[in-house]
Amino acid sequence: MPETAPAGGEVVPMSSGHGQPLAPRLSICWSRGNSLRVSLFSLASFEDEAGGEVVEVKLCDGGDGEISNAQWRTIAYDSVSPFAMLQNRRNSMSSFSNINPSPYHLECWEYMMDYSKDINVLLGNKKSSVDSLIEDPDIFLKKTEEPTCLKAAWELMEMFYVNKLSQAWLPERIVDWLADYDRLFAALHGTVHMKVMNFQNVHNDIEVYEDDLRYWDVIESALAVGWLEIVVKMLRRHGSYQLDQLSNRETENGLVEAVALLISKMPRMRSELEPGRLGECYKAKPDFIKAWDKWRGQITKLDSCAFWIQCHHGQTREGLKKLLQILLGNTNSLLAATTNWLELCVSHLIYIRPFTVGLESMYNLAQNCIQLKPMSSPHKLMNIIIGILGENTEVVLAECSKEFGPWMVAHAIELLTVGSNEAESLLHEERYNLGEISLEELHRLAYAQVLSSHALTWQIAPVYLSSCMKHGMGLLEILLYKQPVQLKELLLKNLEICRLYDLDDCSSNIMKMAGVYHWKHGRKGSGIYWLQQARDEFRLNKIAQQLFASVGKSISDESFKQWEGLIGLLDSESNAAGGFEFLHKYRDFKRSLQQIGDGKNDIAAQKAIDSLMLLMRNTSTPQRFWLPLLNDSLKLLNWQHRPLLSVSNTNLLLNKLQELSSARLHPGFVKPDLPAEALNSVRLALATNLGRAILEE
Amino acid sequence: MDCKTYKSVLKLDKGTACTAWNYCGQRLAAGTVDGTLAVFDSTDPASSSFRCSSRVKVHKAGILKVVWVPPEYGDAVACIFYDGGFSICEEAGEDSHSVQWKLCEFFNRGSSKVLDIQFGVSPTSLKMVSTYSDGYIQVYELSNPLELKNWQLQAEFQNVIDSISTFRKASCLSASISWNPMRGGQELSFIMGFNSDTPQLNSSKVWEFDGAHQRWLPVAELALPEERGDRVYSAAWAPNIGRPYELIAVATERGIAIWHIGLNPDLDGRLPMERVALLSGHEGEVWQMEWDMSGMTLATTGSDGVVRFWQSNSNGVWQGQATFVHTS
Repeated sequence: MPETAPAGGEVVPMSSGHGQPLAPRLSICWSRGNSLRVSLFSLASFEDEAGGEVVEVKLCDGGDGEISNAQWRTIAYDSVSPFAMLQNRRNSMSSFSNINPSPYHLECWEYMMDYSKDINVLLGNKKSSVDSLIEDPDIFLKKTEEPTCLKAAWELMEMFYVNKLSQAWLPERIVDWLADYDRLFAALHGTVHMKVMNFQNVHNDIEVYEDDLRYWDVIESALAVGWLEIVVKMLRRHGSYQLDQLSNRETENGLVEAVALLISKMPRMRSELEPGRLGECYKAKPDFIKAWDKWRGQITKLDSCAFWIQCHHGQTREGLKKLLQILLGNTNSLLAATTNWLELCVSHLIYIRPFTVGLESMYNLAQNCIQLKPMSSPHKLMNIIIGILGENTEVVLAECSKEFGPWMVAHAIELLTVGSNEAESLLHEERYNLGEISLEELHRLAYAQVLSSHALTWQIAPVYLSSCMKHGMGLLEILLYKQPVQLKELLLKNLEICRLYDLDDCSSNIMKMAGVYHWKHGRKGSGIYWLQQARDEFRLNKIAQQLFASVGKSISDESFKQWEGLIGLLDSESNAAGGFEFLHKYRDFKRSLQQIGDGKNDIAAQKAIDSLMLLMRNTSTPQRFWLPLLNDSLKLLNWQHRPLLSVSNTNLLLNKLQELSSARLHPGFVKPDLPAEALNSVRLALATNLGRAILEE
Repeated sequence: MDCKTYKSVLKLDKGTACTAWNYCGQRLAAGTVDGTLAVFDSTDPASSSFRCSSRVKVHKAGILKVVWVPPEYGDAVACIFYDGGFSICEEAGEDSHSVQWKLCEFFNRGSSKVLDIQFGVSPTSLKMVSTYSDGYIQVYELSNPLELKNWQLQAEFQNVIDSISTFRKASCLSASISWNPMRGGQELSFIMGFNSDTPQLNSSKVWEFDGAHQRWLPVAELALPEERGDRVYSAAWAPNIGRPYELIAVATERGIAIWHIGLNPDLDGRLPMERVALLSGHEGEVWQMEWDMSGMTLATTGSDGVVRFWQSNSNGVWQGQATFVHTS
């Protein structure tokens, strides 16, 4: 093992636990947000070339990578405005509900629905996979972009939690949802979607459809989950429709068409049916029941009619009969036609229990279906569905968090609390263990922290933090303190956020940091500017003292020029530091002294002596500068043409000299860096001036 | 759950023994075994590429630990050396061309070695706590906020509740200091624990500055009565963004203890406290513990070379959340 202290001090062996403990092989430090930087040292092999490295580790955000980081950022940006709008409307609502204490006002539903729809839109376009293409008879299912589980999960929550106005139509909405997202389940288990796609890929090779079992199988499955358009389209590919066959197979074709017709006339209880969709739409339950009974009667009638005997094509007869069984809600037929419990559940909703509305009955139905079609590892969306149906908010939340990460939780919590007292108390109750915040706030904080970890998203974190009543501002301050101060745009952005949220202390601390940074890095002007903005009198006074010190040391013209600019910056109005007043006056004095030139300009000399008197009278002029100032002014005191100082002024200066002499005895006296004879020269000059002034007056 | 998302940020010089990131994560100070301080910078906050902007040999002995000075006091670090001394180095210049890292002050306390240094910010001053191998704690105060040269020794004491007893022959292997990270009006306080052969010194104590009498007082001892002599490997005070209690993690051989500390002292002047969790998972000593910016996640590492992340669930139960093991 090599030694770790090559020079000086004692040698500390790395391998021994005695004396100094082992140097750590790792060192950790949180970066902004939820990323941790880990330094990995390779000390043990000092002779090696490699010196170790630093890696950035992110606590897993959830999600299985179906959405890229860039897409997440887009979603994050786009969801800010719906979120902020919801908070605003809710705040104005809560002030309203003080008068009218009904939190579940109709208006509340409406703006929750607006919010949910806005979010839904930014999660991607709706890609309906059951849209049949009338133009192309060979295509039953459009090949569309893969939908995301994220959007599917959001729509589920919207459907169950928010869209309460169409609760009566819930079964049909679930049918539509599965039609849109059935393909998502393909990875883990077989799906009807997969069956249809597989058939579509091979159907050109099939000469006689009705002879092929796969044809009937796919139609059954599609019918079971309510994809009527596909079913009818496929039925019309039946060989009996071909012109040359029509006369021979008239009865057979009549049966096929009768079934297709019945399917396309199926009553559906829903608010509307988009153009091109089959079935007959009924909004109200009584109308629907009437139509349903009639329709079922027609099916039963068809099922028991005599024409079946005349149908000589066995497969067609069998196939159509099976379809009728599905339409009649035969549980075994439905079980056989579907591939997983969710599809089975949907088939029950269509053909057996179209009036299932309550969550409890849906939950029971789902449990029955799970028993009939058990699966070892359920899909994440299925877990969410079970959580929703079981009215288990915690499960839904946990699944959202695990599978989709903090964005989903922070935004979905809004949906979960709509109209549910249990969810409301679960999510809004303040918990001591969490630091007296609610779960809702906790998840918002966690999401804001994720936003904070990226340079492109930290600026939207404040929107979420401002909705956290208890800890939001505390975290926002920390976040702002962690932004670099050396870049001007960033600093200004930072200060703008402080202003927006009334974080005055934070703002002045940040300006202080910026001021010190610039001061220390040779940009003294910017340094002073930011310290003034921060009203940091303490540091500004120290700077003034530093300038005094440099003034006291050397008053050569070169050094004067160096700090003249700085003094110009020190706007005496914006700060009360007395020291700067002195520096301003001193600058004026030095200027006029320079303008005297060859010693013949009386006016300039008088101006200089006035400046001197202003300085000497001013209480803020430090005592240690009195003698250097007078020493600088020797030329003025010995002015040839006439005495520049009046008797009273000369006396004042002599008194100052006297004061200075007694001050020398004090322990804290700072001896100016001047030649020993300076004091005597000044005294002599003043005495001479006094004599001349008396004579003149 | 394992942390799988990670990326390399920069390569360290060979012989690097310690690193520290500055307040905004844009600068890394790295100390090597030959006494060189290297500083890596990222100029653009949006980019994650870093380059070395300075390499200065600051001392003849190797650098054991680097600690950044708070940003209100400039770009500066304290370096603890293998030979027991420490120094403060600063990046400064009279004009923007002459900016460079230079030594401001060197501290040496003779035969006792410095073990840890941490800086605390009050509205008016910068304080520096240093701990030594003889079990003493020193608190320094900076007299001029623009000069990192002049430090005044404000207090010197040992990490014991009972201020009368002193332990002259203590021998300490390591020490851990953690300031209450919150800025603002309250009195300054820090937590301090030792890994030493003197049981009385070891347990973590919260020290608070008593402004009225200008002295440091121990206001809490974070150890169960039977565990007071346990060697403390690391202590970390969590940022408090609004909790009605403070959260402090203390690592001993028994594991990582999470403590809740009340904000208001009882009649004896002691802070009410409760140990809410004792976490185990690391094999061997825990060397470093870091709270994230919200105080919700604790990251720890130690002699087993594993980074562990701990969080409290919604019922207040602390548990391991994730681990990270680097495989090269």
